[in-house]
Formats: sequence, C-alpha cells, structure tokens
Amino acid sequence: MDVLSYIVTLLQTGLGSLAAYLAAHVLLCLLPAFFIAGALAALFPKEAVTKYLGRGASKWVSYPASALGGFVLAVCSCTIMPLFASIYKKGAGLGPAITFLFVGPAINILAISFTGVQIGMDIAMARLFLSLIFGVTIGLLMAWIFRKDDAEHDAETNHSKAFAQEAKVPGRVWAIFGLLLGVLIAGTLQIGLLTKSYFTFTFADSWAPGFQAWLDRLVPPNAALGIEGVSAHGVLLISLLFMIAFAAWKGLNKVDEAFTGWTVAALGLITLTLVVASFKVEAVPTGLQVGLTGKLFAEIILMGLVWWVARTQYEIYEIQEWMWEMWRFVKQIIPLLLVGVFVAGMARVLIPATWIQTIAGSNTVWANLVGVLFGVFMYFPTLVEVPIAQTFLSLGMARGPLLAYLLADPELSLQSILITNSVIGKKKTATYVALVTVFSTLAGLIFGWVIR
Amino acid sequence: MEIKILGGGCAKCHRLEQLAQEAAAELGITAIFTEVKDMTAIMEYDIIGTPALVVNEEVKSSGRIPSKDEILAFLQAA
Repeated sequence: MDVLSYIVTLLQTGLGSLAAYLAAHVLLCLLPAFFIAGALAALFPKEAVTKYLGRGASKWVSYPASALGGFVLAVCSCTIMPLFASIYKKGAGLGPAITFLFVGPAINILAISFTGVQIGMDIAMARLFLSLIFGVTIGLLMAWIFRKDDAEHDAETNHSKAFAQEAKVPGRVWAIFGLLLGVLIAGTLQIGLLTKSYFTFTFADSWAPGFQAWLDRLVPPNAALGIEGVSAHGVLLISLLFMIAFAAWKGLNKVDEAFTGWTVAALGLITLTLVVASFKVEAVPTGLQVGLTGKLFAEIILMGLVWWVARTQYEIYEIQEWMWEMWRFVKQIIPLLLVGVFVAGMARVLIPATWIQTIAGSNTVWANLVGVLFGVFMYFPTLVEVPIAQTFLSLGMARGPLLAYLLADPELSLQSILITNSVIGKKKTATYVALVTVFSTLAGLIFGWVIR
Repeated sequence: MEIKILGGGCAKCHRLEQLAQEAAAELGITAIFTEVKDMTAIMEYDIIGTPALVVNEEVKSSGRIPSKDEILAFLQAA
C-alpha cells in the first residue's frame, strides 16, 4: 500500500470510530449521564453521606458509607482528594478513606454507563461490583496493616465538627435522580420491549439509499476493525450535536449567573436530540424506514417528567448550579474524549493484532498483570480508557486482562499518587499501589475464568 | 477582613473566589483574598471538602459553592 492511501485509511478509521461514538446509542448514554453527574455534584447534599464518616462511626457504617460516598460524591477528581484527606485526618480514619479513594474514580456514573454501552454490560457490571468489593477489602487491609499508626493518629484527637454536620436527601432529589436514571436506562437497555418498533413509516425518498452509499464510501464500514459506518440518522444527530455545542456555549458558560434564552435553547436541543436518537431509522431499498420504538415513548414520558419536576420542585438557582456543573464536566471531558476516540481508532490500524494477542490474548496471570501495568503507567483522560479498551478488544485482547486494565487505569495516575503520598506518606502509598495492582490482576483473572 | 479560598485551583474554586470578590465589592468591604492550594495547609481547617470559604480564619462553608446571598450574609456577619 502506498503512503497516501495508507494515510487515507488511517484517517477514515479515525473518522469511522468518531462517527460510531457519536451514534444514537452513545448519545442516549452519555447525555443523561452528564446530567446525572452534574446533579450529583450540585444537588446532592454531601453531609447526608459524610455524617456516617465521622471518627466514632462503627466499621459496619463507615465502610459502606465510604463506598457509597465514592459513587455519589466523587464525580470529579478535584473533589476526591480533599475529601479523602478529610476522612483520613478528621473522620473515620485510614480504612474508610482508602475505600473512598478507590471507589471514587472506579465507579463514576459516566465511566460505568459508557463502558456498558460500548464494550458490554458484563464488563461494566464486573467493574462496578468488583470495585465496590475490592474498595472495602483494600480499605480493611490497609486499616489492619497500619493499625498501630491509626491508633496513634486517633490519640491526637482532632475536635472536628465537619463530620458532625447532618443533612437529609430531600424527596425531590431522589425523584430527579430516579427520573434521570430512568432516561439513561430506557435509552440503553437492550430489551425487546424498548428496542422494538411499534409503528413503522417508510418514506419513499429516492435519495436515501444513494446518500447511504455515499456515506459508506466516505467512511467505509469495516467489520474486521469494528467500524459500523455512518447512517443518515447519524448525520442528523451529529448536526444536532453541533447546534447543541453552539447553543450551550452561549447559554451554559455563565448559566450560574443567568438563565437565558440560549440556556433554554440548549436544553431544548438536548431533549430533541435524545428523542431523535430514540427513533429507529434505516435506509432500505424503497427509501427511508422510520420506526417508533418503545424507548421513544419511554424517553418522551420520562424527559417530560424531568422538565416538570425541575420546574416545579426546584429553585431556579439550583437548576443553574446543576447546569453549570454538568457543562463543566462536558468541557472537561468531551474534547479529550473526541481526540482519544479518533486516536484509538487509528491505533487499530497501526498496532499489529499479533502483538496484542501474544501478550494479552488469553487469560493468564502475565496478561492480566500487563493490562494493569499499562493502565497504571499510561495516563488517559477520563473516559478515554473506554475507546482504548475497545481497540484492544478488537485486536484480540481477552476479556479478563481487559477488565484488569479498566480497573487499574482510573485508579493510579502519577498526579493522584503524588497527592496521595502527600496525605498518607510513602509507606502507605506504596502499600496502596501494590494492593491495587494485585487486586486488579486478580479481578481480571477471576472474571476471565468465570466467563469462559 | 481576610478571605481565604481553599482548593486545588479547579473551576469551582475560581468561581467561589469570583463570587466572594463580587460580594465584598457590593458591601464595600476591602478584603485580602488568598488562594490556599497546598493540601496540607488546606487540611489545617475543619472541612469536608473543597472549595471552602474561610473568613477571618473561620470556616463558613465547605464542599460546595454557596449562593451570592449566603456569601453576603457571611461577610456581613464577620
């Protein structure tokens, strides 16, 4: 192959990956997930969980609370570190603090739902449950290994009032979370009730098959590399995304100062995009076939309820905070994710499959360890570990080592290790890193063996 | 008046500082603003998380961005 056509293939693969990631099923996952993450950051009262993490709390309370806290409170890495330090120094101590530190990055709602939609629910659920179990286990182990330190540290009593603060989660917060979760699940759950088209219309547009053929030439589907190609539906959604980006830039950047017409436009476009994504659209020889699916009806009802609850049960200031947090996450994560997807797509062509298959093609201890070490030493921005994992999967990596990589990657970056070191010291940090490595390798091995 | 913003320099901390500066300006208070970014220094204060607002060495709020009205109340009471 000459150089020019090689470069074209590379770019097409990158574009194809990008297009696949902007497809309906990803939007139905990521858009609601960002809203949930924003709501967790803005609307969930921290004190409702931290009241269980005080110095005197019993183990049966503080460990589950830390694990739950890791899920609910730690949507952003900038929140995890200070809270980790507080729980260690002023709250329940080393064990629960470590549990929180481990669980936080591991089961963030964006990562779990994204993993489920792109790689498979089996890996996502394994990631979720194993992170919880291992988080508590590693916390308990660290507490036991360093029990003498902890007792001394307890003796320097810190009269902290921070963890004594109480709060209850108001009913309207449970309601909005339930509804948002419903939007996420209704859009992504692959069951017949939701995916079946109850009514189908065929538009005898003669342009449809021709347009599809043109798209297939531009970004050729390649089953071997896992590229699905772009459809007319996809193009419509991508155009909507551009419009959302424009409206959001105008309406969400300073939403905490003012809720403007642009804000409503952005939110309206997002709702519209989710509705459009819920249709089932196919180019058939006779034209364009549009199906009204179960999920379309579910999404319309659930999103209607979200708008209603938000308008009637919340102060405008709270909605502004929520939108500001949500948009902050989007700006932080999406640009890097798009680049990551593009590069991971190209990597599929660049990396010989034999390399991957030799090192990690089967579920051995060595393969799992390599998965973990790769996750530890290679830093990828939040969510980019998913397209990277998908590339490895398509090149032949076994599912066990893949899980090991996904568990280790968010945990240990150079930055987080340095900050952890400044809070708990070299000896404890080294022990923590070692425990995470061992447990992630073990988790991958067991998972690979179980699903064999 | 001494106002400290505790936090690692993320978007929320900047937002809190901006709101606090606006509030101080509205009340006509001259205050010295300091950003505390070092984790050890941050942990000297009794907080559950960042961003945190400290006025004259008293922790007024932690782990969230208080509303402008709340900040005005904090500054008036100090």
